[in-house]
Amino acid sequence: MPDEGAPATVPETRLKALRAGMGPVEVIGRIVTLTPREVTRQSDGSRRRLLSGLMSDGTATVRFTWWDPPSEGVDRGTVLRAAGAEVREFRGRPELTFSWKTKLAPASPVELPTVDTEATPLTPVAELRPSDEGFRTEVRVVRVAARTVSVGEERRVVHEGVVADGSGAIALSAWSDFGLKAGETVRIAGGYARAFRGRPQLVLDERTTVVRIERPELPDPAALLRAPPRPIADVEDEGGGAIVAVEGIVVGLAPPSGLVYRCPTCRRSVVSGVCRLHGSVEGVPDLRARIVLDDGTGSATVAAGRETTESLWGVTLAEVLRRLKELPDPSRISEQMLESLLGRRLRVRGPASRDDFGLTVVPESVEAVEVDLAASAAELARRLGGSA
Amino acid sequence: MALREVAWRVSARELESSLEEEKGSGDRPVGHVLSPFGARMNRVLIAGTLSPPEPLGREEPPTFWRSRFSDPTGSVAVTAGGFQPRAMAQLRAVSAPRPSIVVGKVHLYRGRDGVATVSVRAEAIRGVAETEERAAVADIVRQTLDRLDLMERLEKEPTVSDDELARSGAPRPWVRAARDSLRRYPNVDRPGFRHELRAAVRRVAGDSGPEVPAAAPPPTVRVTRASPPPPPRTPPTDDERADESVFLDLVDELSDHSVDGYADLKDVLAQIALRGVHSERAEAVLARLEEGGAIEEPIVGKLRRAE
Repeated sequence: MPDEGAPATVPETRLKALRAGMGPVEVIGRIVTLTPREVTRQSDGSRRRLLSGLMSDGTATVRFTWWDPPSEGVDRGTVLRAAGAEVREFRGRPELTFSWKTKLAPASPVELPTVDTEATPLTPVAELRPSDEGFRTEVRVVRVAARTVSVGEERRVVHEGVVADGSGAIALSAWSDFGLKAGETVRIAGGYARAFRGRPQLVLDERTTVVRIERPELPDPAALLRAPPRPIADVEDEGGGAIVAVEGIVVGLAPPSGLVYRCPTCRRSVVSGVCRLHGSVEGVPDLRARIVLDDGTGSATVAAGRETTESLWGVTLAEVLRRLKELPDPSRISEQMLESLLGRRLRVRGPASRDDFGLTVVPESVEAVEVDLAASAAELARRLGGSA
Repeated sequence: MALREVAWRVSARELESSLEEEKGSGDRPVGHVLSPFGARMNRVLIAGTLSPPEPLGREEPPTFWRSRFSDPTGSVAVTAGGFQPRAMAQLRAVSAPRPSIVVGKVHLYRGRDGVATVSVRAEAIRGVAETEERAAVADIVRQTLDRLDLMERLEKEPTVSDDELARSGAPRPWVRAARDSLRRYPNVDRPGFRHELRAAVRRVAGDSGPEVPAAAPPPTVRVTRASPPPPPRTPPTDDERADESVFLDLVDELSDHSVDGYADLKDVLAQIALRGVHSERAEAVLARLEEGGAIEEPIVGKLRRAE
């Protein structure tokens, strides 16, 4: 087994070189994410604590499971040396397990291998795959916005957006503030790629370096957001995209479409008055449409929220609730919605992902397409050779 | 979970010309009707004029309706039954010929005289303004021409790879359909079909009015002879053919909605009785269909379409 990136003088194995079944190893790495958990033993019902998360040494990031961790807790960002760790494989990726047999101790960041991020290969974003690491990208920031999220007990700010180069666009989430601004061109080194909702996403954390560069040839963000629609079959083949545009005809609505009730706390849909997370709640009415758009090459579900649904249908949530008082039959609502939408030609833009049910687009914009009949007829007549 | 089948944009003429079928396999088989012009259809989107429907069978109130659909290239039957209550309501609402868009499943029925009949079982129907209908016809003609161009290229360069075609913009499902279509219909007059599309282009331009369908829908849909047809023993009467068509539709519907993929004979007989075909006649229809190889009964009392 070639031990990539580790000189013979250090005892530890680089995370990039981990393979399942290689026996106990010594590793050093920084804890990047951390979730305390507890499992209950089936046999006697006793509880056992564990920590799971990701650790990285700059050559790779791997998941770890730490059984019976110190009760005083461990901080994210800690550099850890672990001797006698087990390597297992989960879904084709190596994972580390720390048990009572493992000797664990804090280490100094200077002990981490020096990875010259500027020397890593320049990779087009279209080629990034989940779990890739040790690459550089040169990209244009198409857009970016800060958002506060809960990670376990912790509240953290994440800067989410989209970056693009000549090869394509990719979603970005930065867990440190790099002061990214839409329109600027940057070189990103030391980030990693992961799968988020079925799509590759570029993740930036405190180890990542971002350098402003001059690259006028990188695509114009406005042009990316205005790119012409592509065949749905092709977008589906690629598994979706950070920004896609498709155009087709509405051929149906997928359930649930119409009036739905949402949990007042988390906005999840409420089924039989019960929220998956918050139990019995008083659902808040909302309007949505899962529009099946078909362009003759494939079909996509457009998950339209209330605003888009109201503007496409021309009927507001208030009007729907009024109609329901008159005729308390919610199935009529989705029928009326379909009657208004069926056969309409729409152009939809937004992030798209593919799962077992096909392609779903979360629309950032939906436009009705007007067909120029005279121009279409002339073009088709030309293609048929001469005047029709 | 199978992905949703795409709605192929086709003209009535292309549906009329379709004689080849591919049966699916597995627990939930998905069948396709293959056209000579590069469409591998389970679902279609058609745009044209829908005429008022007539009920099929003698049930009161009727639960199966058939309407004639015409576009500038030809015509085809559009049906809707109790398993598509919304489509049925929409079909019944057609009181005078009107421009419409129909999305539905393609059915190919081959009678024991070897005659293939295509119909569209509606999933959704919408009466539209004339301009909307013309826009949809433009979409249909454009995609039909794209498919014909793809087939022309495949005829000239049979060895071109799917990847290369994909790079030049041909969607993969179309490439597969075009290859199948060339193989199954080696001697079809595609330039002649191009010529027939001119009528549809005139419709897009607004040079011709909406199609006016025949005053009364014929008892069976227009048929196209398959080649080579098995010799007919005694040609079925129109009534017999109508009974067979209803019977097969019922088998399809019931097996579509059953857990095991079979239509229960008792259910079929009960349903067809509601449509005015009583047990003796229904048994005779079943006997003819089994003899003709359209239906098989691998388990007693369980029917399915023959492979």
